[in-house]
Amino acid sequence: MKTIFQKPPSKWTVIFTGLTWAIVYFLVRRLLNNDQLPQGWSIVLALVPIIPFAFFLAFMLANLRQMDELHRRVQLEALAIAFPLAMLLFMLLGLLELVIQLPPQDWGYRHTWYYLPLFYFIGLGVAWRRYQ
Amino acid sequence: MKNHLRELRANKGWSQADLAEQLDVSRQTVNAIETEKYDPSLPLAFKIADLFDLKIEEIFVPNKTK
Repeated sequence: MKTIFQKPPSKWTVIFTGLTWAIVYFLVRRLLNNDQLPQGWSIVLALVPIIPFAFFLAFMLANLRQMDELHRRVQLEALAIAFPLAMLLFMLLGLLELVIQLPPQDWGYRHTWYYLPLFYFIGLGVAWRRYQ
Repeated sequence: MKNHLRELRANKGWSQADLAEQLDVSRQTVNAIETEKYDPSLPLAFKIADLFDLKIEEIFVPNKTK
């Protein structure tokens, strides 16, 4: 498979790009909270995290492709745990929304997405425990 | 699945890291195979057999089924 990388990125490169994405996200969030920008610019700004995320995704996939079979299995099992947990979270929030008013300042998209990486790390921990 | 990888590696005087390097896998993978927590894929099993100049069934022993 052709790759844009001269050599596969290290785990630290993936972590660095992930941190860059997170920093950009929090900066954008802070700027959007200011409420001083015209709406058009606010929309453009809200889409800015796509750029560092695209780099993060590219590095993460390149890193995944160079992993050995056990590490790939661990990643698969982590996602196999995280994905149903994410489904469960959104299903329950959807059902709860029918019966109670969920406060959007706690349960809006910008708050609930944090659970997805959390589920992934839980899955990663569970999967690694199995093979250690 | 049971295996004799640890004894074979010890006979050669290799560390897990040495074996991992020759198999192009991580040390954790070698450890997981040795501790029988992970069964390698067929290509990796062939690679291991090749490295020790043995047949796969001389290294890996399937668990007895009822």
